[in-house]
Parts: sequence; C-alpha cells; structure tokens
Amino acid sequence: MNTKMRLLKREFDYQILILPVLIFYLLFCVYPFLSTFYYSFTDYSNMKLTNLKFVGLENFIGIFDSDLLMISIKNSIIYALLMTVFQTTLGLILAVFLDRKLKTKNILRSMFFLPAVFSPLIIGYLWSYLMSTSDFGLINSAITALGFEKINFLGNPDLALYSVVVTQLWQWTGWAMVIFLANLQSIPKDLYEAAEIDGANSWRKFWKVTLPLMQPSVNVVAVTAMIGGLKVFDIIFALTEGGPGNSTETIMTAYIKTVFNEGFYAKGAAFGVVFFIAVMIITMVMMSFLRKWGENTR
Amino acid sequence: MKKVNMLLLTAVTALSLTLAGCSGAKNEPAAADQGDKKDKVKVRIAYWNKEESVKTLLDLVKEKLPNIEVEYQFIDNKQYQNIIETQLTAGAGPDIISTNPYTASRYAKLGYIKDISSLADRYNDGGKNVYSVDGKLYALPGISWFEGMFYNKEIFDKLNLKPPTTFEEELALHETLKKNGIKPQAMGAKSWEPMMKSSMAFVMNDFLAKPENKDFDVQYAEGKTKLDGNWNTAIEKWSELIKKEYLTEDMLGIDYDQALDEFATGKAAMWQSGPWAVETIQKKNANLKFDMFPFYGTEPGAGWLIGGPGVGFAANSNSKHQEEVMQVLDLISTPEGQQAFWNDNKGGSSYLKGVEFEMPEQFASVSETLKAGNVYAPWNNWGNASNVIEDYGKYFQYVLSGKMTVTEALQAIDKKTAELIKAKAE
Amino acid sequence: MSSKFVRKWGNPLFELCMIVAAVITFIPIYYLIVTTFKTPEDATLFPLALPSSLNFANYLEAWETMQYPRVFMNTLIVTVTSVLGIVLFSSMAAYSLARRNHAFNRFLFMFFLAGMMVPFQMGLVNLYKLINALGLMDHLAAVTVVNIGTGSIIAIFLFHSFFLSSVPIELEEAAFIDGCSVFKTFWLIAFPLLKPVIATVVILSTLNVWNDFMNPLLFLQSRENNVILLEVFRNVGQFSVDWTSLFPMLLMGVAPLMIFYLAMQKYIIKGVAAGALKG
Repeated sequence: MNTKMRLLKREFDYQILILPVLIFYLLFCVYPFLSTFYYSFTDYSNMKLTNLKFVGLENFIGIFDSDLLMISIKNSIIYALLMTVFQTTLGLILAVFLDRKLKTKNILRSMFFLPAVFSPLIIGYLWSYLMSTSDFGLINSAITALGFEKINFLGNPDLALYSVVVTQLWQWTGWAMVIFLANLQSIPKDLYEAAEIDGANSWRKFWKVTLPLMQPSVNVVAVTAMIGGLKVFDIIFALTEGGPGNSTETIMTAYIKTVFNEGFYAKGAAFGVVFFIAVMIITMVMMSFLRKWGENTR
Repeated sequence: MKKVNMLLLTAVTALSLTLAGCSGAKNEPAAADQGDKKDKVKVRIAYWNKEESVKTLLDLVKEKLPNIEVEYQFIDNKQYQNIIETQLTAGAGPDIISTNPYTASRYAKLGYIKDISSLADRYNDGGKNVYSVDGKLYALPGISWFEGMFYNKEIFDKLNLKPPTTFEEELALHETLKKNGIKPQAMGAKSWEPMMKSSMAFVMNDFLAKPENKDFDVQYAEGKTKLDGNWNTAIEKWSELIKKEYLTEDMLGIDYDQALDEFATGKAAMWQSGPWAVETIQKKNANLKFDMFPFYGTEPGAGWLIGGPGVGFAANSNSKHQEEVMQVLDLISTPEGQQAFWNDNKGGSSYLKGVEFEMPEQFASVSETLKAGNVYAPWNNWGNASNVIEDYGKYFQYVLSGKMTVTEALQAIDKKTAELIKAKAE
Repeated sequence: MSSKFVRKWGNPLFELCMIVAAVITFIPIYYLIVTTFKTPEDATLFPLALPSSLNFANYLEAWETMQYPRVFMNTLIVTVTSVLGIVLFSSMAAYSLARRNHAFNRFLFMFFLAGMMVPFQMGLVNLYKLINALGLMDHLAAVTVVNIGTGSIIAIFLFHSFFLSSVPIELEEAAFIDGCSVFKTFWLIAFPLLKPVIATVVILSTLNVWNDFMNPLLFLQSRENNVILLEVFRNVGQFSVDWTSLFPMLLMGVAPLMIFYLAMQKYIIKGVAAGALKG
C-alpha cells in the first residue's frame, strides 16, 4: 500500500515538473494565437470589433482574391526553399572543409559564425547601406570600380528577394556550419579507416560514410530553415519593407499589412490559420522524408 | 584558449559591474528628485516623428505645466499603426494619440478617442473639418505640411536656369541639367511615397483642379468612379519623367536619407520634399542655398503643392489622466503652443485662429501657391480607401521598373480600392 | 608529380582559399567596425581603409544619446531572467517528458512542438490584452514572461533529446530506491549532467532574447525601461544620414553579444553536438 502510494506520488510529481513551463506556454504562446481560429470565421475588422457575425468560409475564399496575399505566399515559398537548400548545402560544405586539419580553423569558424550574433534589424540597416545604388553603396562602388554596371540589388523587383536571401545566407550559414561540425565530430573515425582499406577516395568517403551519418543535423538545419524561412519578417521589414512593388512581401509582412494597414482582422486571421496548417504539413512531410532518407542510406 | 576565455569572462563581469555602478551613480540624483516627481502625472504621447520635431513644444509643456511629465514615445512610421492599433484594441494605449484624418474618424467612431469640441472654436474650419465627425472635433489639427520641389539655387544660377512655370518647362529643365552632367532630381523611391506624391501632384494640376472633376475624390471614396479611365492621360503625361529617364530604376534602391544626402551635397539639383527636411539639409551642408517650387501641370498657373493638415493630436478615451491630457491639448491650442509647435516644423501654417507665421526663405518661390490655397492631398478625401496610397506607390514602383504600364497600375490600384471599400461598406 | 604537388601544397592552398572566404564574410562587419572610428569624410572617401586616427568621439556621443548604462542594464536583466526561466522550466518539463513516455506526455510533447509553427505576430492583440490585465505593462517582467512562454519550445526539444540519448536512467532508479523524491532526483542527479546542452540553450536563448525587438516595443513604453535595440531604433532615423554616428550605435547594440559569443564559442560547438544531434 505504502509503496503504491509512493509510486503514485512519483507519477504525480513527474507531471508537476511540466506544469510551470506549460503555464507560460499556454498563457503567452497558445492562448493569444487561439482566438485567431475563432476570428477567421467572423466579420471582425477594424470597423467592427463587437457583435461579430459568423461568415463561414468567406475570409478563406478572400485570400485567393487578394493579389497581395497570393504573391506573398509565392515569395515566402521561394525564400524558404532557397534558404533551406543553400543554408544546408553551403553549411555542410563549410563544415566539411573546416573539419580538416587547418592551422586557422578555430578562428575561421568564429569568423563564419559571427554574423549570426547580430539582430536582423541591425543586419537590415547595415546591408541597406552595403547594397544601396547611391554613391555610398559599398558593393556597387566596388562593382563600378571594376568597370561593370551598378546592380540594383534591392530596387530591382526581379532581384530584391534574392538579395534578401543573400544577406540571410551570409548571416545564417555559419550557424548551420556549427551544427554540422558538431555532427561530424561525432562520427567514429574507424568508419573512415575501414572505407580507406576498401580503397575509397575522399569523395566516395563523403558520400558513403559522412553524408548518411549527417542525417540528424541535416534534419535540424533543414527543418528550422524551412520554418524560419516561411515565418520571415524582421529582415524584410528592415531591408525592403516588402518593396519594390510587392516583390518582397512575405506571408508575415502581408499579414501585418492586411491586419493593421487595411484593417481586415478576420481575413488576416484566416490567412494565419491557413499558414499555420500549411507549415505544420510541410514540416511533417519534410521530417518524414528526411527520416526515410536517413534510413535508406544507412 | 582557456585563459582567453577566463579573461573575457572577467572582462564581461567587470564591464557589467562598472555599468551597474555607473547606472547606480546616475540613479542617485534621479532618486533625489523623485520627491518632486512624486506628484507629477505621467502623460504619454506617441508619435511617428522623432522627438526633435516637437521638442520646443514639449519644453513648453514642461515649463507651463509643472504638474505633468510628458513621456514621449517614438514609434517609426512602419510600426506605428501596428503598435497603436494593438494597444487601442486592447483598451490601453498612449494618453495622447497622433493620428491622420482618416484614422481619426475611424477611432472616433469606435470610441477610442474623446470628443474635444471644447477646443474647436479656436481653430479655422479648414483644419477643424478634417478632424471632425458629425460636427464634433476629435483631434487638434497640427501645423500643416506640404511637399514641393526643392532646388539648388547655385546650380540653377550657374546654368542660368529659372524655376519652371509649366510641366513642359520642368522637363526641359531636367534635360539641361542632365546634359550638363548633373543628376536632375534625387528621389528615394525605395519608399513608396515619393512617386505617389509626384504623380498625384501632376494629376491635381491637370485633372483634379478642373471644375468638372471637383467631386472626383469623394466619388472615388464611395466607389462610384475609378482612376482607370480618368487619370490615364495625366499620368501618361507625367510618366515622361520616366520615359526620358529623369526618374530611373536605380532610384528604387535609394531611400529617403540617401536622396536627401544627394541633394544636400549638390549631387542632384532637385529633390521633392517638405519643411521637415530643411534642418537636416542644413545640418548636412550649412552653405547650401535652396528654394522650392510647386508642382506644375501642362497649363501655366500657380501650381500645386501636395499637403494638408498635419498630425492630429487626439485624447485617448481610456486614459487615466483625462484632466491632464486636456491641459496639454489646451496648451497646444494657444498661440504660444502653436508657435512652439511651428518652431520645429517651420514652413507649415497653423490652423489656430489669428495665428500666422513668417515664411522661411527656403519657401520664397512657393508663396504664391500657398497664398492661392493650392495645397491638397487627394487621399484625405478618399475615406475608407485612403490607405490604398501605399499600394498606389508600390504599383508605381512597378511602373518605374517597367514591369507595369500606367493603365495596369491604375487598374491594380482600383482593384485594391474596391476591396477596401466593399469590406467596410456595411 | 602532380600528386606530389598536391600533397605538398594542397593543404596550405586550400587553407588560403578558406581564409579568403572568411575574410570576405567578415568584410561587412569590418566595415561596420572601422566606420565607427571615422569622420564622415573619411568614411566616404576610403570606406574600407583603416581609420587614420581612432576617433572615439562617435562612441562618446552614442553612449550619451543612447543612455547606454541604463539600457544595457535593462537588456541584461531581461536576458538573464528570461534565460534562467527558460533553462530551469524547460529542463524540468523535458525531464518528465523523457522519463514518463505515456500517451498524455507524448501528446504534450507534440503540443509543445506545434508551438514552433505559431507565427508570433498573429496573437499580438490578445497578448497585449493579457499583459495589460496582468498589470505587467511597462515592466521588464512583461518581456521576460513572454520570452519564457515562446522561447521554451526549442529548449524543451533540445533537453528532451539529450535526456533520451545521454543521461543514464540507472542512477535515477537507484536514487528513487534510496528514497529520493522526483524533484531531488532531478535537481541533484539529472540537472548537473545537462551542462553541455545547457550551454546550447543559454547561447540560443541569449541571442534570441537580446535581439528581440517586437516585445520590448509593445510592452515597454517609457524610456526608463527601454532596451538597447529600442534605443538604437529610436535614433536611427534621426542620424541615419550621418552614418558615422549611427554605426557606433549599431555596434554598441551587439557588442555585448559579440563578447558573450567570443567567451562562449568553445561551448557552442560542443553544446550543439550534445543537444541537438544524438536524439
């Protein structure tokens, strides 16, 4: 009896441990977002805050009617895909290179990681100076000094989104590198020795030994890059404000504009719900894909 | 390595200790005058312009109303609506809210801001009307703003150029400057604002000023008419500026500050802006001699400036310090208050009855236009559609980069307007 | 012949290439740093040259306008309290979730992970109402509690996988038999073994909290309670034409983080290894 009580108390205590963080999480993360689901079915707007009417799926249909929202979805997907692919591959390449015996490897690693320390706001101000077409635009001064035409990084609608991607790759590749490096160092050395005895060259060693064992870190980097990419906000605000035209509007900036500038609270909420569900599905698909890849290559 | 780390950690600790000590020392005098502060009521005011733009006014409040401590919160234009709207929706927010005419009328209908009609008699109709709903005043019309074309007098004199009197002359002017290797005008087109204003100013001259189009803006607000089919001819004409490459695509990579810099350092001969920029220009280049001319249309005339009543200061109905807020608003609505307000916004005019200010020399060439009362901003009459101006500007960025024709842009703007009007029609 | 060449020179050449790449990566930051010491003329004429003399006037001015000591302390308080909360509460929860793998806990774990996909901006109005109702408006604590609420998700994930992979359960079982309570077992036995992953969580959360901008902007209205980034932001427009006085502010906004990073960098690689990857 006594032991049974004690065991029961133990189970109870275990659950208590979860409680504090659960309270914070529920209060400050879940609860604020929950009402979004409710509002998405109403006619809530900046002109109508009370006596809300239920309007069914009208807001969800409205999303497809809005040029801004549709283009923002397209931009966010392009952005997130580019970030995922390049952050993963470039980070991986850097990590493999800096895992070799180099005299300067520690300082090199630090230099590549350093940009990750900066707030997106500050990165935004810094890069809008670097990329400006005016006379103080450092990159364009260099380009014209070499005798080429100025590149309108942030002002050309066809280029602006990619310029933002470049700044973000600059900022986050080092971060990915660090995670990959950690993974590399956990790979047992004898696996390489075995491959060497089989006569594998370094390229083959990378494909056959390294890459399959990198699955956990690729998982972390790719999934966080994807979610972060779809949710991108700060850097767009600081660098381009969505312009020129709508060429760098992303889901989050378009959401803010729809809700606060245009006052379509309910449509914004519907957009948010769709976005949340879409990110969820994308993440799950990606994770299961990556897991399968890890299993197949192993 | 370990040593270095320890050293750094020690340095960080030492630094934070010094800082703690430092701030502690600084806190002491603050704590000392806490005694006086105790009875002071904190009135928070939020505004999208820097504190410098109302500094004299804030000093005056400090001097005249010793019982009140004004807390100024600057929120950048990009975030202002977002932050304030969040706060108001939650039943909180600053005690004094800065608004524009359209937002003020919306806030008034939602009950966010208080009826302050007791101060209404002191203001002219021109300013009062835009901030009134059903005959009640909801915000104090601030010093008016206007935007015209600054030009560099030295460059003009050197090339024997005179301010234009028609759009054609303005184009010719651009050509001469360009031939002489000077950038005709600087434009920070990375923001959506300058092209929106520049093109609308031309429409004001060539379309809106005509008697038959007197009601266009009001009808547009009600969805009874469209830009496409009405503005096309005027905008096509205006777009000569783009076709002749006086406005170029690389301006989309330049922001306001950088454009100002180009004008202030003499790299560009003209720049479209307003009174608020004068101080910064002079700070950047104290010797620059400049003046302003208005926007012109095809016909000669007094020209038009784009502008209207400035910021409206409104009282939050949920404020805990109603009385003190009214004291501040009352002070602003005196000649003394307007003078202090104007002091950091030289060039604008006051809507307070019987208050007039002398024009600074930088605006000599627009005095005729101002006298004729040719200051207007179409969107102030666009009601629920007035927020479309951001999209307007953004679609014009596509026009500048050659991605859209003028007609396509106008159609896209009309579509957005329809969306904005329809949703709020009920 | 050629393979001999490669063997002798391959590595140094390769290293040189990497150094060049690193230097290119570093240029923007270098530009930010050197500009802070220059006069405006210097900055325009020779943007990348070393400053001809160290001009600390920019810093003194920035120090004054930003009211640096005060905003630094505010930021420090917010960061330290948030990070402490995140580390403590998340590790507790992760411990329980890892050790008690029943259906309810599995659900809770997924429930926490779903939070990663919640776009923070979409709940702002409600969050604001809540903070207001709790009477936390214009208190540093407002930012702290929101940070704990949103920042714990990734921390739970990291702690959870670390518990599963690298913290042996045997000790805990023994402790239980000896009569140790769950709390004691967690605190005395499990928690001390978390060091490497704690480093990761501390680094991650510190970067996030320090660089957070939206929360302070919403919840800290008075200037006394400003954090560093708000102060940078406050001054940006005003000085942005004069970027020799803007850049010191930008730099002073991140300088503490850079120092923190240099001090912690050894743990970053180790910590991430310990935390993220063994699960």
